[in-house]
Amino acid sequence: MNQEMKFKNIVAQYSNVAPEEITNNMRFREDLGFSSLDFMSFLGELEDTFDIELEESEVMKIVTIGEALELLDNFQ
Amino acid sequence: MLVRDILEESVQKFGKVNAVKWLNRKEISERSYYEMMKNAVSVRKGLLAEGFEGKHIALIGTSSVEWIESYIGIITGCTTAVPLDAALPWEDLVELINRSDSAALFLSPKHRPYLQAFLENCPGLQKIWMLQEEVEDAPEKVYSISELRNAGNNASADAVCPDKEDIATIIFTSGTTGKSKGVMLTQNNLASNVEAVKISAEPGTVMLSVLPIHHAFCLVMDWLKGFSQGATICINDSLLHMVRNMSIFEPDIMLMVPMMIETIYKKLAASDPSIPKKVLAEKVFGKNLRTIFTGGAHLDPYYIDCFAQYGIQILEGYGMSECSPVISNNTPENHKPGSIGRPLENVEVRFDNGEILVRGTSVMKGYYQMPEETKEALKDGWLHTGDKGYMDEDGYLFINGRVKNLIILSNGENVSPEEIENKLALNPLVGEVIVTGEKNGLTARIYPEQAVVEAKALDADSVQRLLQSFLDEYNQNQPTYRQITGLVVRKNPFIRNTTKKIRRQDVLIDEPLA
Repeated sequence: MNQEMKFKNIVAQYSNVAPEEITNNMRFREDLGFSSLDFMSFLGELEDTFDIELEESEVMKIVTIGEALELLDNFQ
Repeated sequence: MLVRDILEESVQKFGKVNAVKWLNRKEISERSYYEMMKNAVSVRKGLLAEGFEGKHIALIGTSSVEWIESYIGIITGCTTAVPLDAALPWEDLVELINRSDSAALFLSPKHRPYLQAFLENCPGLQKIWMLQEEVEDAPEKVYSISELRNAGNNASADAVCPDKEDIATIIFTSGTTGKSKGVMLTQNNLASNVEAVKISAEPGTVMLSVLPIHHAFCLVMDWLKGFSQGATICINDSLLHMVRNMSIFEPDIMLMVPMMIETIYKKLAASDPSIPKKVLAEKVFGKNLRTIFTGGAHLDPYYIDCFAQYGIQILEGYGMSECSPVISNNTPENHKPGSIGRPLENVEVRFDNGEILVRGTSVMKGYYQMPEETKEALKDGWLHTGDKGYMDEDGYLFINGRVKNLIILSNGENVSPEEIENKLALNPLVGEVIVTGEKNGLTARIYPEQAVVEAKALDADSVQRLLQSFLDEYNQNQPTYRQITGLVVRKNPFIRNTTKKIRRQDVLIDEPLA
């Protein structure tokens, strides 16, 4: 499974939207129904899955799927 | 009984037991009851030696061993602790430091960027102690926590025991008028709440503290109640890592707000159904978790049944900062799903037009320097909770509505819509605005200022885009619970009552006015 699919599968755990329907311009909270805590838990899961360390103050500014994917790309 | 007595008894009984555990660069660090109290006493003596007797001392920071030792040092002496929400913007913190008349401040290293703002805008602050062992390039008035502890260790005098009716702590809570109120809790308020909650745990029982430490629920029930039982309180370093830390610390007991239970449920529900529940529970909750105490907002009883299938008992309670904070709770022995439990033994409950009124030794002394608000909330010793409810024939309390205009989010945060509306209304494009609370967040319902729309010849898309970008900008500086996650642009003005106030019960109606 490629990185983007893995990422979208994690997103789908917290949302009613299926992984294949998740697009880059979707907003975590408004479009995907994440609570503030869903979002934090999701970020923690990204850290564990992709073995990265996120800076809390930076990642809390993320609003869309595209921004989160971009962040992930920066670690590669 | 004072908090000081409770803690001194714990040190005698559980001196060598670990009181606190936390992660330090992925390694677990620990502090015994004996060591923790030794540091707290150093802070207490230090505050006396530095001339802060009778003063208010603020604390800003997320949970840390230094934070809790300092807090204990303050409240077991002749000083009053003012724990503030570390997630607030610095302007709000400045206002609360000044409004609480704090003479000194304990500040976490993470908040060092705010230091200059506090020094410049809080004239009453005589000293700031950073919650770290050493501070480099400290400006005037700024010291490390070890400098205060050393001053305490070198002093012979210790603070005398406070009086039962002395104010131990001032906790800020959202007000319905848009201005947060400082709840004054006495020594007796705190100690009697710790004693009246009948939950017993073996010494060394592991608790993982995941709530914000400045909240009364976390401060009194995780920390003070936990310490009274000889529990080991583990610090969750970030909400990003709550699930990971549950595997690391393997707690027996946790306190959560409903939003946390909902998030964990999503993870459980999304897991492969072929994984046995016991295996999944160990993976998600750690090996030992048996009980979750929840409060702060309504929890759908559905989750209680669901978690029971994974061997976890959820026990719901009810409280508010004004009651130190627990009013009623379900216990392992006596519980009823959907109810918020039976009132504590030190609490009397009655109803006035359906509103829950509370009287007892945990009820606050009043709001700091707000006599009008205090008079409104406390009548003849009865606290008007603002919640509507009833009691069943078995003595269990149930909540079924609210009297006051306060939004209770599922993370337990109380949000005053007026406070946010006042800020949003400053934008020229915002004609009328009402903030409503959905389960997980806030929605701004805005009627655009028609004069601006016409002057700039804005179409509907442009209005939506401009308002959304304004909200995005607003959100950047707000704690998550005050962020606006929904926008509804209205076609018509809000319906108003005869005194021209917007009728909040009709804000969802968007029709031309008659």
